[in-house]
Amino acid sequence: MLRRCAISLLLAAVALPAVPRTRPHYGGTVQIEMAGDGIHADGGLVLRFVLDGLTRLGADGTAQPALAVSWKSENNDHRWEFELRQGVQFQNGFPLTADRVVASLNESCNGNCPWTAVHAVGSSVVFVSDAPEPNLPWLLAETQYLISLTDAGDGKTLPCCIGTGPFAFNNQDQPRSLVAKENYWGGRPFVDKIEVVTGRAIRDQWLDLSVGRADVVEVPPEDLRQAQQQRLTIVASPPVELLALAISATGALANPTLRGAIAEAVDRAALFNVIFQKQGEVTASLLPQEMTGYAFLFPTARDLNKAHELRGGLNAPPLILGVEGGGAMMLAAQRIALNLREAGFDVQPVDSNPMQHPDLALRRLPMEGTDAAAAMEGLLRAVGEPAAVSRQSTAALFHAEKEFLDQKTLVPLVDLPRAYAIGPRVRDFQLNADGTPDLASASLEDAP
Amino acid sequence: MSLRQKLLLLFSLTVAAAVAAVAWTVLLRVRHVFEQRDQEETALFVYQFQREFQHRSAEVAAAVDRLAGSEPARAMAFELAQSGDAAPYLTEAQTMAQDAQLDFLEIVGPDGNVVSSAQWPARFGYPEPAAAEPAQGTFLKREDLPDGSAALGLFAVRAIGGASPAVKLVGGARLDQGFLADLPVAPGMTIGLYSDATPEQGQSTGGAPVAFDPARLMGANEAVAGAVHYRALIDAARRSGQQTNGVVNLTDRREDSLNATAIPLKNQAGDVMAVLIVGISRASMVEAQQHIRAMAYGVAAGGIFLAIVFSLWVAARVSRPIEELARAAEEVASGNWDAHVPARGRDEVSVLARSFNHMTEQLASQRERLVQSERVAAWRELARRLAHELKNPLFPLQLTVENLVRARALPAEEFDEIFRESTATLGAEIANLKAIIGRFSDFSKMPRPEIERIDASDVVARVHALYTTAHQTPEARGAAIQLNLDVSLEPMPIDADPELLHRALSNLVLNAIDAMPEGGRLTLSAHPRGERVELRVADTGEGLTSEECERLFTPYYTTKQHGTGLGLAIVQSVVADHSGTITVEGTPGGGATFIITLPRAL
Repeated sequence: MLRRCAISLLLAAVALPAVPRTRPHYGGTVQIEMAGDGIHADGGLVLRFVLDGLTRLGADGTAQPALAVSWKSENNDHRWEFELRQGVQFQNGFPLTADRVVASLNESCNGNCPWTAVHAVGSSVVFVSDAPEPNLPWLLAETQYLISLTDAGDGKTLPCCIGTGPFAFNNQDQPRSLVAKENYWGGRPFVDKIEVVTGRAIRDQWLDLSVGRADVVEVPPEDLRQAQQQRLTIVASPPVELLALAISATGALANPTLRGAIAEAVDRAALFNVIFQKQGEVTASLLPQEMTGYAFLFPTARDLNKAHELRGGLNAPPLILGVEGGGAMMLAAQRIALNLREAGFDVQPVDSNPMQHPDLALRRLPMEGTDAAAAMEGLLRAVGEPAAVSRQSTAALFHAEKEFLDQKTLVPLVDLPRAYAIGPRVRDFQLNADGTPDLASASLEDAP
Repeated sequence: MSLRQKLLLLFSLTVAAAVAAVAWTVLLRVRHVFEQRDQEETALFVYQFQREFQHRSAEVAAAVDRLAGSEPARAMAFELAQSGDAAPYLTEAQTMAQDAQLDFLEIVGPDGNVVSSAQWPARFGYPEPAAAEPAQGTFLKREDLPDGSAALGLFAVRAIGGASPAVKLVGGARLDQGFLADLPVAPGMTIGLYSDATPEQGQSTGGAPVAFDPARLMGANEAVAGAVHYRALIDAARRSGQQTNGVVNLTDRREDSLNATAIPLKNQAGDVMAVLIVGISRASMVEAQQHIRAMAYGVAAGGIFLAIVFSLWVAARVSRPIEELARAAEEVASGNWDAHVPARGRDEVSVLARSFNHMTEQLASQRERLVQSERVAAWRELARRLAHELKNPLFPLQLTVENLVRARALPAEEFDEIFRESTATLGAEIANLKAIIGRFSDFSKMPRPEIERIDASDVVARVHALYTTAHQTPEARGAAIQLNLDVSLEPMPIDADPELLHRALSNLVLNAIDAMPEGGRLTLSAHPRGERVELRVADTGEGLTSEECERLFTPYYTTKQHGTGLGLAIVQSVVADHSGTITVEGTPGGGATFIITLPRAL
């Protein structure tokens, strides 16, 4: 925790201009550029501007009130009741009601929910689950469970992302232009408008930033070092993503010994030191050392001899390694394939196709917040292992994680931060707990 | 085969053989010249390629040299040597390779491990053995790629100056379809590169090349057509490691063939990494050869045609006098003694013609004299026979008339008696004279035969039936003659007058019966003898002497006491009128056999 705070302070010190601080000004337009579309990629960056969750994660890792002002659990965490904030309206003027929240939540997880049932009781939303769900307030802060209007009541299909967030789409036909909501329940943002440019290459984003055409641009972890060398103003999060190798427990790798050989053959240090330029940290555990304190118990060193020993005389057929995204991800996948080739596996990296079920998949899993139990449950849910994680003790957490990792269906590799470079006129730029920018509290230096 | 045909065949064969020999020699020489020229052309292209290959090698070496001497590379090498941190240079090789337009580039650290790889960025940290190669010249190397394949490249290694221990650059250009496409290719030229997919595939256990895979023979823009036909050439180059030449037949047509050269491309250890195929189409050469061959055949055919025409003329000129001689000889043989052969020139054939003409004139003259003498002899014989025949009845007539004159002085009763006896005698003798005159008249008035298609067996059977019936009469039974018939069952058609033939056979049967007054056996037979039919009348009578056999058919010759000697002459005349022959065989006391042979009707 101390190291994390120190890094945050250091980065904040770098990010802030060495000029006398003045009161923030309202107005102005922030230009933000990104490589993805901001909704399905980039951590749902744009969604965070227009949608709110029932809760949000505070800097200290606690679940903070958002659309829900309070909550309580009953029946040993089998039942949760969230009291909604009053007077909140969606972008189109529809009031926030418990029914609309329930409809949004039911649509968000599409059956794979941490709860068994959710229903509205007056101005409250009640969650019921068969198993205890102690982490629900933290889970509800995740991007996946942000609340959006799904039904206008007239049966018509609504456009994407009508929410209660600090910004609203200026025009649904041009969803990349957002305007500040004057009546936002958390207070009006300082900036009037956000212009989002999507599908922009990283080098072009940096060029735009250098010539003043962009205020906020992305800095992938693998380019963070170079960005620093170019003296860009960087704001980086603590590790919020886990780079991991998912191994299918069916098909060619149904044998856990083969999966163990693969886990031993991967050279994490090369990925961390070279490909990701020593950003984040090498890990063999699901959660960072700062979050749990026991991550060091999972050895990260490569053991090729053990990999050969585990593989023994077993010959796996040629394996497909699916990769989400290109660039550093593909490079990492090729490196893993090279590592595995040394261990006797024939692995071919390919771009991930949702229709395919590769033997191996290199994935970046979101690791939101600083609460260990909630973060672990979120990770497990992301890899299709819906299991409530107890908050009772760190030892229980360790055993749960070890039990999962011993299946060798997920090999944690590197914890990665999320970082942005900002222009000189941006002030009070902060990142949310999931690493997305918090433009609601940012302002522009030259705003009128 | 006639003389003219023989001469024509002989001349034609001689000329055709001479023309064929000349054509074959010319074609052989033309083919040799064309193939020599084609091989020289192939060698020229191979030489050009080798120069181009050297040029490419020099380009690769120069590009790597430039990179190694560049300021950024020197700075990078310095930093690497100082800090040992290779991470910042992960993508440096890609940038440098792009700038230098190299397909392969790896930055190798002082420890011999890859710092950055353009072709396989994930390969950082792995050792690169090629960095240990001498920093001079270029070499071939098969480079593994991330997709599991391997590519052949022309590589150079250079150390970056200023850093110690040295950071090295291993750069190269790919030897692939693009490389082939940049090579100078003439129309009709095919180039291909055969390489095994992976280093392990290049050699099988024991060092022998693995089996040829046609799919691995790449052309400049697409797969080489008919790649499987290059197998022998490529395998020979892979085994021997030497440049190999040969003709590659892509189809059964000679036009679809190439003069191909397989050039083995080796690495520094001498292993064959790939085989470059340079093929020059033989289509133009083959077409030219075919054109020349067609012309040669045309000229030869024309020559042979003219030779045949000339042979016809010569053969006709040589054979015509001989043919005329042969024709004249045939005419003479057929009885035309007036045949005459034109005698031209003074050569041997004309001398022969004149001699022939002289001979026929002599023969005609002698025959005329012989006819005259025979005619006189015949008249004498006729006169003698007439005198003899007429003298016999005339003498009784004279005696009767003289007796009648003397009887006139006798009493009337006696005279009447004598007169009646004399008139009866006169009447009988006069009748005898009429009969003699009638036979002579019949001989002179032989009718012309009325020819029709009949079967010889029918004629023989009819005669046999007639005389069998006659022989069974009470008068004939006393003779005790046995009549036998021996006729072949095979059809024996002849063109003949059945009545005349019947008369002739009957005459022979009567003669045979006359020859057996004490009885005997008479046999009538008819048998086919090739293209003729043979009729026999055989008896077991008194037989004939050889002299009688020779003279038997002479008119008026007879062995009988009261014969006229005209019967067998009539028979011979009938047989001759039917284009047949008649002979007689016999010995005294052994019977006689008359043999008539007639042409068998077709």
